[in-house]
Amino acid sequence: MTSNLIQNYISNKPAAAYSQQRQNRSALQTPQKPKPDFDIQKELDNRTFIKPLEGKGRLLKNNIFNAPAIMVKDIIYDAKALKHAVSGKANDHELGKLNDFGLLLGGLGIAGYLFTRKQTPKTKGMEFIGLASFLASMAIWPKIAIQLPAYLIHGVNVQKEYEDSFGRKKPFYQDPQFLPWDLYTEEEINKMGDRMGVPKDIPNRREFIQEKMKKIGIQNNTLWMLTAGFATPIMSGLICNMAEPYLQKYLDNKNNKKADSILNNLAKYAETKYKDIGVEQDLIKLLDSNQNKPLTEELKESIISTITKYMDPVTADNFKADIKEQVFGKETYKLEDTKIQNILTNLKEVFQNKIPRVDAEFLQAAIPDEQSLINALKNEGLFGTDIKQIKFGKILDTIRNCIDKNVRTYNEAHPDKRQNLGYIRKLIMTNMTQERNSNHVSIVLSDTVSNVLDTPAINKLKTIVKLVDNFNRKVFALDEYALRKVGAAPETVIANYWNDTAKEFVKLLGFTDKEIAMTKNDRTLVGALLREKIENIVADTTAYNNLMEKLIKKIAEINAKINKKDLAAPLLTGNAENTAYTRKVDTIFDDFAAALREQNIGFVRTAQAIAGRDKNDTVGTAKNIQKAYVTERLLGVKSSFYRIINALDYFRRVATTINSSTVLQGRYTEHKEELIELCKIITLEGHSSDFATKFYMLRNPNPDRSQGNVEVKNGKVVNRYLGQTAELTDIPGDQHFYKDAMRLMFENEMSPDTLKLLEQLGLKDEVLKYRQIVLEHLGGEYYFAKPFHLLGEKTTMGSDTKFLITGNAIDELVHKTFQQRYNNKKWFKIFGGFGAGLLGVTILAQFFFGKMKTPERTGEKK
Amino acid sequence: MISPVNNSKNSIYFSADSNNKEKKGLKYNHDTLLPNNPLTNTRIGLDKLTNAFTLYPAKGLKGSKNANFYEFLTMGTVPYLIGSATLMAVFNFANKYFAPFDKVQASKVGQKMALGVLFYGIMKSVSKQFISRPVNMLTGVDTDQPYAKVIYELPESVNDTDITSIEYHKVFESVEFPRWDLLYGDSTKGEKRNFRYDKIAKKLNMGENLNDSDQETKSRIKEIIIKSNFAKSISSYLWAATGVALAFQKPWEDYFKAMTFKFWKTEEFGQSMKILGKSFIRSAKDLYKGEGSGVAKHAGKILLGAAALSSVLGVINTVAGAKKAPKSKSDIIKPNEKHVVS
Repeated sequence: MTSNLIQNYISNKPAAAYSQQRQNRSALQTPQKPKPDFDIQKELDNRTFIKPLEGKGRLLKNNIFNAPAIMVKDIIYDAKALKHAVSGKANDHELGKLNDFGLLLGGLGIAGYLFTRKQTPKTKGMEFIGLASFLASMAIWPKIAIQLPAYLIHGVNVQKEYEDSFGRKKPFYQDPQFLPWDLYTEEEINKMGDRMGVPKDIPNRREFIQEKMKKIGIQNNTLWMLTAGFATPIMSGLICNMAEPYLQKYLDNKNNKKADSILNNLAKYAETKYKDIGVEQDLIKLLDSNQNKPLTEELKESIISTITKYMDPVTADNFKADIKEQVFGKETYKLEDTKIQNILTNLKEVFQNKIPRVDAEFLQAAIPDEQSLINALKNEGLFGTDIKQIKFGKILDTIRNCIDKNVRTYNEAHPDKRQNLGYIRKLIMTNMTQERNSNHVSIVLSDTVSNVLDTPAINKLKTIVKLVDNFNRKVFALDEYALRKVGAAPETVIANYWNDTAKEFVKLLGFTDKEIAMTKNDRTLVGALLREKIENIVADTTAYNNLMEKLIKKIAEINAKINKKDLAAPLLTGNAENTAYTRKVDTIFDDFAAALREQNIGFVRTAQAIAGRDKNDTVGTAKNIQKAYVTERLLGVKSSFYRIINALDYFRRVATTINSSTVLQGRYTEHKEELIELCKIITLEGHSSDFATKFYMLRNPNPDRSQGNVEVKNGKVVNRYLGQTAELTDIPGDQHFYKDAMRLMFENEMSPDTLKLLEQLGLKDEVLKYRQIVLEHLGGEYYFAKPFHLLGEKTTMGSDTKFLITGNAIDELVHKTFQQRYNNKKWFKIFGGFGAGLLGVTILAQFFFGKMKTPERTGEKK
Repeated sequence: MISPVNNSKNSIYFSADSNNKEKKGLKYNHDTLLPNNPLTNTRIGLDKLTNAFTLYPAKGLKGSKNANFYEFLTMGTVPYLIGSATLMAVFNFANKYFAPFDKVQASKVGQKMALGVLFYGIMKSVSKQFISRPVNMLTGVDTDQPYAKVIYELPESVNDTDITSIEYHKVFESVEFPRWDLLYGDSTKGEKRNFRYDKIAKKLNMGENLNDSDQETKSRIKEIIIKSNFAKSISSYLWAATGVALAFQKPWEDYFKAMTFKFWKTEEFGQSMKILGKSFIRSAKDLYKGEGSGVAKHAGKILLGAAALSSVLGVINTVAGAKKAPKSKSDIIKPNEKHVVS
């Protein structure tokens, strides 16, 4: 067998030599104090006494207490490294640290850019959380998957750091060919050796322990490199997933508080936040540069478009009419020398292009010279004086008369080259009655406007624009409040509330992941599953009360998030006009309208478009739209969730007291079964169109005439008749069936359990009001095909509002929530599972690390 | 006493000498300067990549006594590439299970994210050239000059006779210990000993035909290396960030719709490439122009500007410092004149 001489030497190294080395090292580690008579010259003369400088390296012991100090020290080090690098004096270690700085800078660049691309605070915030979680994952993974398990299994910290003599912090096992073992004391090495089960009586124990530690270090470093690529993005994703709800909650609270603060300090907020939206400066610039210049159409349009920049189209149209009447005045025009030549040139061009067989001689004869046309216009009082647009026709007549005369003379003189006078007249008058600017003469006339932008007009415009700016700023602030609270956008208070409540509802119903996965793509399957869940829960009093308590509590949160004193849905609260928001809207819009009506301004049309003729004239006004947007959003959301409460209550009543319902009394059992089934379907799946068409249902036209109670078992009706007949049809003449269905759903008293909880949690009044308005307005909706299917009076409510009070179909709401939850769970299952597996394998692998053949023990050798 | 190592009786390849009869077949028998060209760099890159995924992990997991810092650093490619692929997967893999509408929306983001990862890597790598090329042109110092290093390892066991290997380093990868020795000319090939240093000295306006151009230029080269490395560290990440920003532009959605990697279907693939080109141009324009108002509108310009500025400033700082003569001995003692020291 061949053997390696170096290895032979190492394994048989004389103990004495080693002992001597250790003594020497010990001497190095504890240098003697300088002698009092130390003489540097003497020492230098006798070089044999010169010793290397004492090493200053040390192992770093990081813990939670010294972490801040270390962090500060690291920052100072990095700052120095930066300075050194710029001046070209950095070392390798410093350049390495600056690479980490570059990584952070690039990461911030990415997060910062994507921040600007995202629309909502949460998505913006997640960009930075994404970066932070990625960097954190890079640091955390080796700690939890490598360092901790290795320490627990072997007692060795494989991520140990040390500081070298130059103060540079480095990983101890970074370079296996250069491990500063001297930094570990004998005691520390032996302690780790004991922990690793290294026998105490082997030769060169310290070297053996060090080799073992080195091996563990190399293996763990390799494992780190192999796993970090998978682990870091996955961990980062998982951290983001976990952090998102907390960020959303924080931002939701912040947004809500901000909205409340806007409403409470509206005027001040509008002045500061929307200071820059004013158009006053733009207008002043425009007015100053056009002072005493003709008020051309272009200038008028510029002035109008500047002032109406933020107005809605209806108000802007009214404003346009007002400004023309009250500021610009009636348009007048003035014909002068320069324009006459233009008219003649245009006419010549038209004649040349349109008259057949035209020649220079005819043009010369037919088109009057400048002076004769001026004279003719002067005679008619149309030259050099202010004339109104209405007299454009008269100018054309004068021109035509001149040409008529000339053409007649020409025709008489040239009978062989006669021109059609009638045709020429038409050419002159063409398009006069249509667009003013499309006629060859009118083009010139329209450019002769004599009105000028004078000082009174400018002063009036300046007064108006101040009012408009002030109004716009406040409306912007109101809009911001409305958007933050109830805007149809992601992450508004109401959007977050909707998502949270829908999720909570699905959670409370106890759907399993498997059920969600199987039904998520089919609303019908979701509906069937939903019904099954509800029927099971309502049959159990405890389960029902438990579900309803949590659900009503969750739904009632809306009144905490959006205080009814600030904002309310009028149909549900009755006193909706007297909220802080509506009061502010009234004040702002009424004040603006009143200012516009002032005599010196006189913008009555605009004032009316803003606030109506009086307090009762609200339809279509900007003020009403400002109020309606928020109240309608609130009504739609509240109705959707109150509908859930009503539906669950209905199912509960079916499960418990349905046979005592006043509505069902005296009906055939088959009818009862049909009614109950219809109402179950409508409460869960009905749309506003189902209510509008008075519930199309295929029924038995010849029902069994037996009477008696329906049988209910575990929340479900055990149908004796329903579904037994093949020939089914809708019965449009049975108005009572429709009315009874509506009453069963919305009029019959709610179950005592539900009422008690609603009372306790403060939603009773609103939910009862909700049932009442649905009964009244959806029940009172007229449908031409079933004209007698009416409950009470015919409603005048608009279809938009009826749509809102119908609320979202419950099965659709659950269906959408299923898909969201499935997406999240699926992602989590794939990557969470992979991450867990990776962690397991990484930890398990470490049990096989550090295996080395133990040298023969000292005693065994003999 | 240590007995001398005698390899005459063993089959140990203690030499990488290619003339050795029992040669292992290594390409180099001593540390060798390599040309810095695309072919060599590709070859080195492939060699390192292969080793990073095969040989080095195998050695590392065994805890080989020969595992070293170079291997550890080379293995850094593994998490870089796997991490990129995983990051792409994190944003795309689960999408196929989503409902159709959700799938479309998630894929839009996911595909841009994947493209962002790709562009990050490309821009980070390519942008280093924005520093090293001008620096090389203006100073003559090739900061990326590679060399092959022959390593003699310890035998893993008494039967281990394969103790040589090759590592690929850069001459200036360490600013504290640059491989000055490799830059000297080989007189056997008729090269002047200091011909490389002469060239640098000339570019740095230090004069020609210097007696000791190596000694004169070393301190300046070192400064160039430090400054250019620093500039690369900062600018490459900013360019990488710009790459990500470019990937997040809307026009890429057109490419994603037509994207195919089936190159054997020439027509479809050609069309896909055409749209790729157009999407790239439109995305670049959109990045520059921006949308919205305020900072959001100019964010692309700011990022692009910061990246470009970091490269330009990096080059200026490196080159200007190197060309400006330091207050050193060389300024007082004229290097191409004879001086007598009394």
